[in-house]
Parts: sequence; C-alpha cells; structure tokens
Amino acid sequence: MEYLANAGMLIGIYIILAASYNLIIGYGGLNTIAHPIFFALGAYTAALLGIGTTLPSVVCVLAGIGVAVVASVALAVTTLRIEGDYLLIASLGFQLGLLQLVNNFEFTGGPSGLSNIPVTITGPGRGWLYLLICAVLVVVVVWLIWRAMAGPFGRAVRAMRDDELACAALGRSLITMKIVIFAFGCGAAGLAGGLYAYYFQYISPEQFNVAQSATILTMVVLGGIGTTWGPLIGAFVLVALPQAITFMQLPSSLVGPLQGIIFTVLVILFLFVRPHGLVGRREAGVAH
Amino acid sequence: MTDPVILLQILWTGIAMSSYFVLFTVAFALTLKVEKLWNFAQAGLMGIAFYTMFYTLNAVHWPPWLGVGAAVVLTAAVSIAVEVWAIAVLRRRHSSGLIFFIFTLIFSQLVAFVLTLMFGTEPETIFPSVMSPVRIVGGVAMSDWDLQALGVTVVLLAVLYWLIRHTRDGQFMLAVADNDKLAEIYGISAKRAYLLSGIIAAVLICAGVYLYGTRAGVTPDVPIGLVLTAVIATLVGGLGRIFSAAIAAVGLALLQSFSILFIPAKWQALLLYFVLFFALVLFPRGIPVWRIRRAKPLAPIAVAQAGD
Repeated sequence: MEYLANAGMLIGIYIILAASYNLIIGYGGLNTIAHPIFFALGAYTAALLGIGTTLPSVVCVLAGIGVAVVASVALAVTTLRIEGDYLLIASLGFQLGLLQLVNNFEFTGGPSGLSNIPVTITGPGRGWLYLLICAVLVVVVVWLIWRAMAGPFGRAVRAMRDDELACAALGRSLITMKIVIFAFGCGAAGLAGGLYAYYFQYISPEQFNVAQSATILTMVVLGGIGTTWGPLIGAFVLVALPQAITFMQLPSSLVGPLQGIIFTVLVILFLFVRPHGLVGRREAGVAH
Repeated sequence: MTDPVILLQILWTGIAMSSYFVLFTVAFALTLKVEKLWNFAQAGLMGIAFYTMFYTLNAVHWPPWLGVGAAVVLTAAVSIAVEVWAIAVLRRRHSSGLIFFIFTLIFSQLVAFVLTLMFGTEPETIFPSVMSPVRIVGGVAMSDWDLQALGVTVVLLAVLYWLIRHTRDGQFMLAVADNDKLAEIYGISAKRAYLLSGIIAAVLICAGVYLYGTRAGVTPDVPIGLVLTAVIATLVGGLGRIFSAAIAAVGLALLQSFSILFIPAKWQALLLYFVLFFALVLFPRGIPVWRIRRAKPLAPIAVAQAGD
C-alpha cells in the first residue's frame, strides 16, 4: 500500500509540474526547459528551512514557492528578449549553472543532497494523508490554470503565442504577460518541490538535471501541448507505465535502467505514432 | 606573481585538453549549420563510440585500429539510421524545433540507459592505463597523449576544411546549409548533404571520444555533459561558423584551465554555464567577429581630385 501511495504522490507531483510547464510552453509559447530548477529551488528551500528552523512545514513550502517565483522573474527579465531555440538553450544554461551551485555548496549537502528532512506527518496513514493533500493541490493548480486560460487573460496569452506583434498592437504588455505566466508556472513547480521534499525526505541535485527537463517536457508534448487535460494524462502515463516493472522482482541495479528504457521507448513511439499528443488535435496550431 | 613556466604549462595542457572539445564542437556545429538541428543525439553517438572501443579492445582484445574502426563504422551507421528513420520523418512533418529537441535528447537518454544496463555505471577508460610518456621541453611537461591529441585534431580539421572548400560534396553541403530548397532546385540532394554531415560528425565524434577515453573515465551519462560544452562553444563561436566554434572551444578550454589560478577546480564547470548564459543574453547570434576589410577603391572623381 505504501508503494501505491508513493506512486500516487509521484503522479500528483508530476501532474503539477506538467500542468504548470504547459502554461509556460504550451499556452505562452515560451520555449524554456529550466522548469526542474524551480522544482529544485522549492524543494531545497523547504528542506533547508525545515531542517534549520522550527517554522511550520506550510510556511517552508510557501517560502519555497516564493524563492521559485523570484528566480523565475530574474530569469524572465534577463532572457525574455530572446526567443525560440535561443531561449531554450539560455534556460538550459541557467538551470545547469544553478544546479552546479547546489552541487558545490556545502549547506545544500553537495552531490549527496539532503536526507534529514524532518517528518511532518507520522503514523500508518502518512502516505494516504499526503496523497490527499497532493490531490487537493493538483486540483487547485489545474483549476487555476484552466480558469485563467479560459478567460480574457488566457485569450491574450494565446494571442501572444500565435502572433506577438498583433497582440502588442492591441495594447497588451507582452513582457508583463510573460512574466506573470512564468512566475505562476514556476511558483507551482516550487510547490511541487516542497511537496516532494517533505514526502520523500531526500533530495539531491541529480533529481533535477537535464533528464528531468526532458521528462516534464515529454509529458506535456505527449499528453497534448496547449491543452488542459494533455499534461495530466501525459504525466500519468509516463509515470505509471514504467512503474509496472517494479512488480517483476528484478535486481535493483536493473530496475532503474529498465524503467528508463521503457520511458524513452514510449516517448519515441508516441512521438512518431501520435505526434499531436494523446488528447491534442492536429489543427491545434502547434507544428508536431 | 605566478611563475611563467607554470603559466606555459597551463597553456599547453589547456590547448591539449581542448582537442576533444574542438572535435565535439565541430561535429555539433557542422550538424547545426547543414541540418539546422541542435543534435543532442550526438551524446548517444558518443556513448556508442566509446563503449564499442571499450568492448572491442578490452573484452574481445581486438587491435586498437580495428576497435576504433569498428566504432567509426557503428557510430556512422547509427547516425545514418537516426537521420533516415527519425530526423527525416520529423523534417517531412515540419515538426517544431521542440519536437527535434525532445527526440534527440530522448534518443541520447535511451542509449545511456541501454549502456548502463550493459556496462554499469563504473567509469571506464579505453586502455587500462591513462598514463603516457612525458618529455620536458623548456620546463613544460608534454605527454605523448598531448602530441597525439593535437596531431589528430589538426589533421582532422585540415581534412574537413579541404572537404568543405575543395570538394563538390563539401560545397553542396554549404549550399544546403544556406538554402536547402534553392539547392534542391539546382539539383543538389539535400538528403545526401544531411547524410554526409552526419557521417563526418560521427567520425569527428569517434576521434574525440578516443582522445577523451584514453585520458579520463567515461560513464554512460558523461556524453551529455560533453555535448553541452559543444553547444556553449558553438554559441560563443557564432551559429553557422564551424571553425570559429572550434576557436571558441579552445578559448573555453583555456578559460577553464587558467581559472584554476583564481577559483577552486569544482567551480570550473560553473564558469562554462555562466559563459553560455551571458553569451546568449548579450550576443544571441554569437560573439561578433570583425574582419579586416580591404579598402574600397576610390571613385574615379575622387581619384581625379586627389591627383589635382
């Protein structure tokens, strides 16, 4: 049962990550892949405050969200004048640079990470209680994104994605819109990080590397970029299917690589068989 | 004041160490120029090249030339397969840059997972020892590996330059790089140019991996870091300028080498990411290169007035 709760938590956390990333890349059209670093900032801030202070866990997670938002605004202000592939690579440099800092500082635990994150909920129902909290947060994040994108702001964001010049001509401030969606999406990633740190009680820099960028990006694209349900389904499929292999009683040294192989093969298969995503439509406006 | 011999030693070692960075960078920059593709799949090709050499030389004890040859053949074959069965399909569908990015990155990850399953995560080298004989020239230690690395790199770059400038296929590659549709109207096969650039990149990657793998330990996740270094050098050198990217790779290697005078070694990698980030933000099209131009001939009137 504990295993199911762990898998459920992972699915929930990845849904928050994929949905918030979809807001940035799918609705906003901002090609950044630095999402895992905001996930990391949320996780590390919450974990460090949890270890070093007596602040309640909710405050630590909120602080994690705050740090992620501030960092995202810093990235947005410096890089949003470049676009396309260049923004993609700049965001990669930002992510790897910050990750290198996390890797080298002693107070972050260096490459070994942090393992003494305090327990906040104890008892046999811990996993299920966390899962309930996670499910509520998933619903809140997805609803907020859906609500925002269904209204006038969402239409303006999509207009900006489709034609920046026309959108600016209508009197919209593109930079403000970009910063708002960037900050909201990255704040949600910080929330996912706080949840991850408190539930799994162990974080290390390698959990937030380029492979994580590819994972979240893949969930969004394979689910259906720019759709409400796509990232949810993408996260569910790509977390749940590779987990199936853990029931095969294989040596632990084989499980990791085999899960990776299943994941990557699934991605490549979906890219060629269903390039517009599981719930996306061919005419959605995004070239596949 | 630092001893000049120490500075010379750092300079020499930095130049020698830049050899494989240069080869990886040129491979990446060539593919980017000809195919307009940020080909992160080259990390997968590096993994295939290294472990083919490692397996053929250490497990089945082939002679080095045969092991390296096998790596070249296999890497080039995989490069062709990826081009024909994946990249060409995505190109036909007019896929977005994001889809190419995902595919090439995921392909590299797939290769890394397969290699982890086959060879584990322990660092391996192509030969059991990474030591090579050293001679002292003017107080500077020069190893056989340094000389071999520089020799291989210079020869391969010279061959590539000749190939691009003085052969029809090379010029066709440049034509496709400039405008693939227009090149095809003139009867140039873009498909052939893409395949050729992929094969050349595979050869450069094999040479770079050989040099790297005879000097340092490799694990299946090392190649992605090497590709990122190539990306940084390509961006600093300027997109579409293959040999400028090579010079940028040397510059970045020297920057890293000399940085040990000022910062601890563990921060060297951070330096590269800062360069990448600020190079992109300040010079999104690469650092501008000012060329010395010949003075324009004076207009006839001006010449006449000057004569008066």
